[in-house]
Amino acid sequence: MSRPNTATPLERRYAMLGVILIAPTILVFCAVIVYPLFSAIYLSLFQIFTPTLQGSFVGLENYQRLFQRSEFWISLRNTLVWTIGTLTLQILLGVAMALVLHQNLWFRSLARSLILFPYFVSTVVAVLVWRWLFNDLYGILNHLMISVGLIDWPLDFLGSSPNAMISVILVGAWKYFPFVVIAVLARLQTIPEPLYEAAKIDGAGPIARFFDITLPQLREVLVVIILLRAIWDFKEFDLIFLLTGGGPLITTQTLPLLVYKEAFALNQMGMASAYAVVMMAIMLVFMVVYVLKTRNKDESR
Amino acid sequence: MADVVFSNVQKTFGTFTAVRDLDLTIRSGEFVSLLGPSGCGKTTTLRMLAGLEFPTGGTISIDGKVVNDTAPGKRDIAMVFQSYALYPHMTVAKNIAYPLKKRGVPAAERDQMVAKAAEMLQLTPLLNRKPGQLSGGQQQRVALGRALVRDPKVFLLDEPLSNLDAKLRGYMRAELVELHARLGRTMVYVTHDQLEAMTMSDRIAIMLNGDLQQFAPPQEVYRFPANRFVAGFIGTPSMNLIDGELTRAGSGWRFCAASLDVPVGPLNDMAQPGPACLGMRPESLSLGAGEQMAKVLLVEQTGHENIVTLQFAGQIRLTARTTAAQDLQMGADVAFAIDTSALHVFGPGETGPRLNRLLENKSSETDGQT
Repeated sequence: MSRPNTATPLERRYAMLGVILIAPTILVFCAVIVYPLFSAIYLSLFQIFTPTLQGSFVGLENYQRLFQRSEFWISLRNTLVWTIGTLTLQILLGVAMALVLHQNLWFRSLARSLILFPYFVSTVVAVLVWRWLFNDLYGILNHLMISVGLIDWPLDFLGSSPNAMISVILVGAWKYFPFVVIAVLARLQTIPEPLYEAAKIDGAGPIARFFDITLPQLREVLVVIILLRAIWDFKEFDLIFLLTGGGPLITTQTLPLLVYKEAFALNQMGMASAYAVVMMAIMLVFMVVYVLKTRNKDESR
Repeated sequence: MADVVFSNVQKTFGTFTAVRDLDLTIRSGEFVSLLGPSGCGKTTTLRMLAGLEFPTGGTISIDGKVVNDTAPGKRDIAMVFQSYALYPHMTVAKNIAYPLKKRGVPAAERDQMVAKAAEMLQLTPLLNRKPGQLSGGQQQRVALGRALVRDPKVFLLDEPLSNLDAKLRGYMRAELVELHARLGRTMVYVTHDQLEAMTMSDRIAIMLNGDLQQFAPPQEVYRFPANRFVAGFIGTPSMNLIDGELTRAGSGWRFCAASLDVPVGPLNDMAQPGPACLGMRPESLSLGAGEQMAKVLLVEQTGHENIVTLQFAGQIRLTARTTAAQDLQMGADVAFAIDTSALHVFGPGETGPRLNRLLENKSSETDGQT
């Protein structure tokens, strides 16, 4: 970045002002993002005992051990199952609900505000409520299903193997689908009505109109939503940790939970850092896709 | 044969009546314009014909079949929207092919028909572009292509030229007339621009506040406006309309307003002494000689002619059309004469009916002819 030496004193003073104005942001950015990032990479090269933060340099040994551990691969698989499962449900539920709320219903404005409720409510509160609902002794879900006759014996929603993952995925979908609803609804409202009218005259029925007009018009916003939600779901911690704690055994233990366990339960800060760095590398892929997608859009305009 | 018949059609939105008791028969192959100021019901009429709005009364039939309960896609119509409504994510070729695809035309045949339509509208080099990469005029042609590729019974056009610049509009007007001549299809064209309606139509339906005012060929609308509203709406500059009194004079009639007192031609049975309105086209005033005097307020030069605004008898304003050669000074007094053979007389009120006798004879004549 060579500055043209023809800059007038006034221009140079403006440039100076710019530097001064942007400096606090850059300093804060370095302190809270760049430093922890490099610190994590640095720590991952040591074997460290968390309480004392004492340790010895081990080089890439942490990474070597990490890839040999079955726990890492199980957690990675859990993370992918959780992310894909909950994201799919969020998108399907979110788009469907947005389509419903886009219709001229008399309760539309009320429903639009109510739909945001799961997104507003704090994760701790939401999880507590869900744990009551899921409880195998006094939970209302089991009670209802037994009284309707669906099951004879209470289901263990959170304490048995495929059930726990399914429950976590469902709660995740419930908690985060309103985000999809709001984003999709905002886009739906900008699709020009004449497009639908033209399609009607061209002979397209309601289903054809959805696939030929609505869905292509939603494509761009869906790409952004899917990428953002994929990143957020991939590193989701509190919801899973509070709901199952990773159990039973490690069947719902995702990578963020594994990082937490290594760092604070097993007191292996170096190993935890290595896991975190690997996680970051995986998420970098999402980020690159996101950046490419959004940049392409800007260029085509 | 694809007649379009509106029979006693009503459309109300809540307490607002958009179209009232509309009776209109459009003949097969005819180019008909629905003309009127905004809110007159012309677009609602077109949308009812398209099936996008449903009449609250009466029947609409295409080709002898009542289509009130027929879905838009099943009416065998095509529509060009004011905003073009091209599918933004599809290429030009896919846009044009879409109505064919939805009707199950096989791909090979579809490509052929698209190619033919594209050639007719000079769109062939643009077939692989997206609508966003086209100019307004090109988008307009794609919208036309999508309409005509299917060879529908009736074309509906909703102010299709209003988003184009003046030069392109003139060009597309000629293209549409040529297209209509070539295809010979029934076309219904909505516009608020009387120039478009006058130059393109076989017949014009003029509407106001949901009521049909007159339905006649352009020349007839111009020469024998059915009422005061039509008289004032059609023609640029518009007809001079002067409120005054109608009085009997022997076997004929005279019209008086301020110092103006002119004999008016044979009137029909609706005429009665009392308040009335006199209409005269700017071209039926000749300046420079005559028994009346007026002051020149404004001279607008358009190149080949001048539009002169006169003040007459203190309060009456008149517009006259003169040759560009005639030299008039603003503020000067000028003598003028009125061609009394070309006067129109209307009853009182905004839509006061035409009182000249000529209309009835003339109207039935042209109806029989065309």
